[in-house]
Amino acid sequence: MTLVEAILLTVITAATPLLLAAIGELVVERAGVLNLGVEGMMIMGAAVGIAVALGTGSNLAGVAGAIAAGMAMAALFAALTLGLAANQVAAGLALSIFGLGLSGVVGSALVGVQRAGIGKLEIPLLSDIPFLGPLLFAQDPFVYGALALTVAVSWFLFRTRAGLVLRAVGEDAASAHALGHKVLLVRFLAILFGGACAGLAGAYLSLVLTPFWTSGMTGGRGWIALAIVVFAAWMPWRAAAGAALFGGVTILQLHAQAMGVPVASQLLAALPYLITILILVLIMRGRAGAAGPAALGQPFVPDR
Amino acid sequence: MTTRRSLLASAAGLATAAALPAAAQSRLNVGVVLIGPVGDFGWSHMHDQGRRRMAELLGDRVAATTVESVAPPDFDRVVTQLVRTGHRLIFTTSFSYFAPTQRLAPQHPGVFFENATGPTTLPNMAIYNARFYEGRYIQGVIAARKSRSKTIGYVATFPVPEVIHAINTVMRGAWSVDPSMKLRVVWVNAWSNPAREADAARALIDQGCDVLCSHTDGPAPLQLANERGVFGFGQASDMTRFAPRAHLTSSVNNWGDYYAARARAVLDGSWSATDTWGGLGSGMFRMAPWTNMSPEEVSEAERIRDAIASGRLHPFEGPIFRQDGTQIIAAGQRLTDDQIRAQNYFYRGIEATIPG
Repeated sequence: MTLVEAILLTVITAATPLLLAAIGELVVERAGVLNLGVEGMMIMGAAVGIAVALGTGSNLAGVAGAIAAGMAMAALFAALTLGLAANQVAAGLALSIFGLGLSGVVGSALVGVQRAGIGKLEIPLLSDIPFLGPLLFAQDPFVYGALALTVAVSWFLFRTRAGLVLRAVGEDAASAHALGHKVLLVRFLAILFGGACAGLAGAYLSLVLTPFWTSGMTGGRGWIALAIVVFAAWMPWRAAAGAALFGGVTILQLHAQAMGVPVASQLLAALPYLITILILVLIMRGRAGAAGPAALGQPFVPDR
Repeated sequence: MTTRRSLLASAAGLATAAALPAAAQSRLNVGVVLIGPVGDFGWSHMHDQGRRRMAELLGDRVAATTVESVAPPDFDRVVTQLVRTGHRLIFTTSFSYFAPTQRLAPQHPGVFFENATGPTTLPNMAIYNARFYEGRYIQGVIAARKSRSKTIGYVATFPVPEVIHAINTVMRGAWSVDPSMKLRVVWVNAWSNPAREADAARALIDQGCDVLCSHTDGPAPLQLANERGVFGFGQASDMTRFAPRAHLTSSVNNWGDYYAARARAVLDGSWSATDTWGGLGSGMFRMAPWTNMSPEEVSEAERIRDAIASGRLHPFEGPIFRQDGTQIIAAGQRLTDDQIRAQNYFYRGIEATIPG
């Protein structure tokens, strides 16, 4: 395997959790809800995922547990922002902090426990193709899942009626409500989906990438997923590109160091986060039209 | 993330305040401030194990409080809270805490501070450390025996003297077996970030390293080494279980006996600001059982360990040259402890650069 292949493989593993979380958040934001609690949902997914996997001995149960944990946190967020029409930014931040703390409690019993990570799934003939084979067809199930999710969400949002309704709710909730669509139900389902994806991304971290538990193991990836959604202009395929870019920048700086490239390591390490801040600044300006779903972040209370 | 730690810290402080009986004069309240989570199974975990051992040895005479994951900006508040709730002996277990401890200690003259890995003392601040570089020398020797690509990969944290002299000593040990050994370094700029450590390990292995040394607080690089079929060393605790095929040995920290001795010193009034730098000989750390090594490699490693513990072999003996060729000390001389603590240059023969 050449160095280029090795680097690309590592970029894919770095991009997958970002893509999973970003796709979920993309759907949530398309429905008009700004969910800043991705980090908390992700790390709860990681903690519960490995706890269940260790308890039952089954990877599948662990993944299911992680998704359930993400959805539970999302349901809490939905109760606050939809049920009580609370400020979405504040509720999301609170949920992030809560998730980080709660995951520490859940994971405290798992310290020092080791398990084998989920292995790669090789597709029989396709994985023998010289360059693309190992890259695209000999990856772990999460990578395939992330790509399938991107395809599915893209198809759902732009080719189905339900997706159209979801986008309408995100653009102008009052008009959608006037047309008879159940705005709160649509948003609730979108939030649950976002939570499930974030939980899945967390499961990837604790079941595949580094198969043990450490407090705070998401390392800010939830925030980067948020930035990727904006970076992608709320389009699924661009989110995949954004995730590859962010993951790639992170990996390449490590490779550059290992190769001995004389650029300051601290600067390179800060780069993904600098880009996050830059993009989050951009989201706060220019709200008119060009910056995503028009009703993003505005609570909706049906008056009839 | 900062607010979570402050919640944890204030909860710890409140719990301590609530638990203090009105007249607990004879019982010593000891605070232990950790830079990472107890769950890192590495640096902070072993300090917490030290606290447990101290509590085990001294029973009712001490009441220990641990505050974990305290980021340097939160440090002042956490320590002030510990002081206000009656803690008279406080262990600050990180190099990153040295400057804040040095600043706070004069403000609380009745409290005894102990900083791990710090370089200088104050009247009420002692420092303590373990001579981990002795373990690094042994790791270098073993790495040279095990490596086929003749390249060692080092997952480094920050470019501070402690990490730099560890890297230098690994290579010193490696060169004692094979002078052609090479080194690659990746700086992850964090003491604990498992995914980034694993990515750094991947980058090093992809660049041709087949033995990994790590300075981070957890088992991520070692676990990755196990997955990729190369060798690695554990850090701070016995990490065999994380990497049954890759693990060679670990430097296992042992702080409990030191903590108990210091608590006893406070209790009987004999505490003074000492500078303790214990090595293999003093028991402040030991090497974990050798795994995945042949009997000859094990006996060589043990011979070298015993030579270092008894003082016959000193990892910082001359001649020592900097990368630019200038000589630091000549043959027959040794670096002093202060010189080792201040070492901020790589040895000649190391092709990596120190950032910043």
